[in-house]
Amino acid sequence: MYSTLRNVTLAGALMGAGMAAAQDYPQEPIEVIVGFSAGGGTDVMARTVAPFLEKYLGDGASLVVKNVPGASGQIGVTETAHADPDGYTIGTYNLPGMMARTLDREADYDADSFTYLANVVNDPNVIVTSKRSGLDTLDKLLEAAAEEPGAVTVGMSSLGGDDHFMLTKLQNMTGSEYTIVPFRGSAPARTALLGGHVAMGILNISEVASFQDQINIIGVATDERSGFAPDVPTFKEQGLELVNGALRGFVAPAGLPDDVRGELLAAFDALKDDEEFLAAMTATANPVDVVTGDDFQALNAEILQTATQVWEETPWQ
Amino acid sequence: MYSDLLHSLPDVLGLANLAAIVIGVIAGIVVGAMPGLSATMAISVLVPFTFGLEPLVALGLMAGIYNGAMYGGAIPAVLLRIPGTPAAVATSFDGYPMAQKGEGGFALQVAVVSSSIGGIASALALMLLAPPLSKVTLLFGPAEVFWVAVFGLCSIIFLLGGNPVKGLVSACFGVFVSVVGSDPILGTDRFTFGKLELLDGVNIVILLVGLYALPPVIDLLETPLKTEQKSGKLGTEPIWKALPRMTGFWMTWLRSSLIGIWIGILPGAGGSMAAFMSYNEARRASKTPETWGKGEPEGVAAAETANNADTASALIPALTLGIPGTAVAAVMLGGLLIHGLQPGPMLFRDNPDVVFGFMWQFLFGAILLVFLGGSLATNSFARLLNLPRPLLGSVIIVLMLIGVYSIHSRMFDVYLMLGFGAIGYVMDKLKFPLPPVVLGLILGAFAEENLRLALRIGRGDWGVLFANTTSLILVALTVAVVVGPLVKRRLQARKTDAS
Repeated sequence: MYSTLRNVTLAGALMGAGMAAAQDYPQEPIEVIVGFSAGGGTDVMARTVAPFLEKYLGDGASLVVKNVPGASGQIGVTETAHADPDGYTIGTYNLPGMMARTLDREADYDADSFTYLANVVNDPNVIVTSKRSGLDTLDKLLEAAAEEPGAVTVGMSSLGGDDHFMLTKLQNMTGSEYTIVPFRGSAPARTALLGGHVAMGILNISEVASFQDQINIIGVATDERSGFAPDVPTFKEQGLELVNGALRGFVAPAGLPDDVRGELLAAFDALKDDEEFLAAMTATANPVDVVTGDDFQALNAEILQTATQVWEETPWQ
Repeated sequence: MYSDLLHSLPDVLGLANLAAIVIGVIAGIVVGAMPGLSATMAISVLVPFTFGLEPLVALGLMAGIYNGAMYGGAIPAVLLRIPGTPAAVATSFDGYPMAQKGEGGFALQVAVVSSSIGGIASALALMLLAPPLSKVTLLFGPAEVFWVAVFGLCSIIFLLGGNPVKGLVSACFGVFVSVVGSDPILGTDRFTFGKLELLDGVNIVILLVGLYALPPVIDLLETPLKTEQKSGKLGTEPIWKALPRMTGFWMTWLRSSLIGIWIGILPGAGGSMAAFMSYNEARRASKTPETWGKGEPEGVAAAETANNADTASALIPALTLGIPGTAVAAVMLGGLLIHGLQPGPMLFRDNPDVVFGFMWQFLFGAILLVFLGGSLATNSFARLLNLPRPLLGSVIIVLMLIGVYSIHSRMFDVYLMLGFGAIGYVMDKLKFPLPPVVLGLILGAFAEENLRLALRIGRGDWGVLFANTTSLILVALTVAVVVGPLVKRRLQARKTDAS
C-alpha cells in the first residue's frame, strides 16, 4: 500500500518533470489479464510466474492478476489487444487457440495486435488409448484405423484446439481417418477414455501423467522424451515426425516501447534458469519451455500457418 | 488408506483450520441466503486469495462455504419464497407455505438439521467410498448421461402434479435458453446476436435471480398496506425441543441422502436436480401426498437433505478423475490446482494429508452447520420479516443487482436478469411453474451435448443410446416417471366416474 502510494507520487513527479524514462519501468502495478477463471491451467501458470517476474523486474515491481473469463479466452485476449501499450497491461496467450479464434470466429484482434513477450509452457500432445480397446501400440492403432476408416473414436477437448491439429497432422501423415468426439474440456474426454466409451484420445502430457496405469499412452509429440513421463516414447522414435502441443505464454498490446519490451524480455529470459521457478512449475504440472521475443513471434506465425492450412482443408465449423 | 484418514486428523484439528471451517460455514450461510450470491461465486472470489494460505486452511474455508451456502439458500426460500441458490428451489415448495402458517421457524430448523444430516452422509461417502464410487462415474458415458438428463427433465415436468402441459412449456423455455451461446460441439454461435457476452450461454444464477427473486419482490411491493399484521414471529423454539417432531423423517433423510450422493457423483447435474428428485421420491413414498406443497415439513427435509448430500460426493469424481460433479466442485478443483494438487489417482498417494484432511473438513463443516445455522437462522434472519415490506423489497432488489453484476462485472447480465424477471412475473401470474425452466436450462444443455457426443461415438447410429444395461435401466425409469402419473390419473378418473 505504502509502496504503491510512493510509486504513484514518484510517477507523478517524474511526469511533471517531463522525463518518464523507461529505465524506471515499472512505476505502477502491472495488470496481467488472464482469459480464464481463477484456478484454471492458464490462471495457475500466470500466478506461478507472477512472483518470479516481480523478482526479475526489480524495483518493487508488482503484478496483479485480473481474470477476464469467457469465450475460451477470447474476451480476455481482446482486452489485452486493445489496452494501452505502456507495459502496464499484459495478458496470457494460448496457442493454437488464440490464433484459431481469428479463423473460426469474428475476432477483434489478429496476429499483429500484439507485442510477443514470452511463451512459458509447452504441454505436448499425447495419443492415448483405453485399456478396453486393446490398441496398445501405435501399429495396432494405425492398423485398426486403416481397416475401417472412422471406426476408431477419438476423444479430445474441443475442435480448433491443439488436440484437433494434432489429429489432423496424424491423419495427413498416415492417411488414416478417425471419428472425432469433441468433449467440453480434457477431463471429461479422459474420463470417457477411462470408462472405455471412446477408443482413443488426444490429450496433453500433464493431463495423463498420473493416469499411466489406467490408460495406454502410445506416444508423446515432442522432439525428446518429456520429463513428465520419461517412459513414454516420442513419435519420432516410432518413425512419425509428429510434434505438437498446447502453448501458454504472455503478450502485450502491439506498439510496446522498445525499452519497456527489453525490460520485460530480460525478466522472462531469466526464468529459464531459475531452479525455484522450474520446481514450482513442475509442481503445478506445467511443462516449461521459455521462448521469448522474436522467437515467440516466429513460433506464433508458424502455428497460425498450420491452423490456416487445417481450416482451409477441413473447416471444423 | 484408512490409516491415512486417521493420520490426517490432527492437522485438521489445528486452531487455524477449525477457525477456517467456522468462518466458512457462517460466510456460506450468509452468501447462500442472499439472492444472487451463490456458493460458486463466493468460492471463485476466494480462490485467488487462497494462493498465499496453507492448503488446508484454504480448503477448510471452501468446504465451510459450500456446506453453509447449501443451507443458507433455504432461508429466503422459506421466509420469502425466493430461493437463495438454485438448489433451494425445491425447499420453497413446502417451506414457504409453512412460513405462511406461522411455522417458518420450524421449517428452518428442519432445513438445518436435514442439511447437516445430508452433509454428514455425503462426507462419509467421500471418506470411505471415494475409490469404488468413482468407478460408478466411469460407467456413465455420453449415452448414459443423456438419459440421466432426460430422466431429470421428465420428472420435473410431471413433478408439480398440476398441469403437465404448462410444465412442458416451462421446461421447453428453459431448454431454449440453454441453446443460446456457442454450440457445444462445433463452437458455432447460436442466438448470440454477435454479443461476446452471450457466447458462454446464460449463467444459471442470472436466470434464477430474474425468474425467482423479482416476481416475489414485486408481490411484496404490490401489497405494502395489506400486510400490516406483525409477521415477525417465526414460532421458534429451541432446537432440542423441535427435534422430537422430526423423528419420523428418518426414512426421508436416508433416501434423500442416497439420492443426493448419487446425483453428486454424476457429472453436471448438481444440487438442484438432487433436491427435485428427492422431493419427488419422498412425496411418492408419503402416505399423505395431498399435504405436499401446502406446508409439509417432510418436503423441506427431503429437499434440504439432498442438496447438502451432493456437496462432498460431487468431489468424488473431481478428486479421482478431475471431472467435477457440480459447478461449485469445479471451482474448488481450481482451488486445489492452485496449491499444486492435481486430481487423479496419484493425489491420494502424494498428498494424503491434504486430501483426507479436506474430507474431514467436510464432515466437521456439516456437523457445525446445526449449531451455527440453527442460531443464525432463528436469531438473525428471522428479523428480516420485521422490516417494513417496501424496505425489504428494495433491499432485496439492490442485493440482486449487486449479485448479478458481480458474476462477470458487467451491466449486460443485469439487463438480462431484469428481462428474465419480466418473463418470470408473467409466468408466475399465468401459473406456469418456474422450476422446469431452471432445470431445463441446466439439463437441456447437458442432454444436447451428451446426445450429440453419443451419436458421434455411434457414428450416427441411434442404437448407441440403448446399447447397454445402464442406459436401459435409465430408459425404464424415464418411462415410469412419464407413464406413472398418467395411469394414476386415469384410474382416479375411473373411480370418480364409478362413484
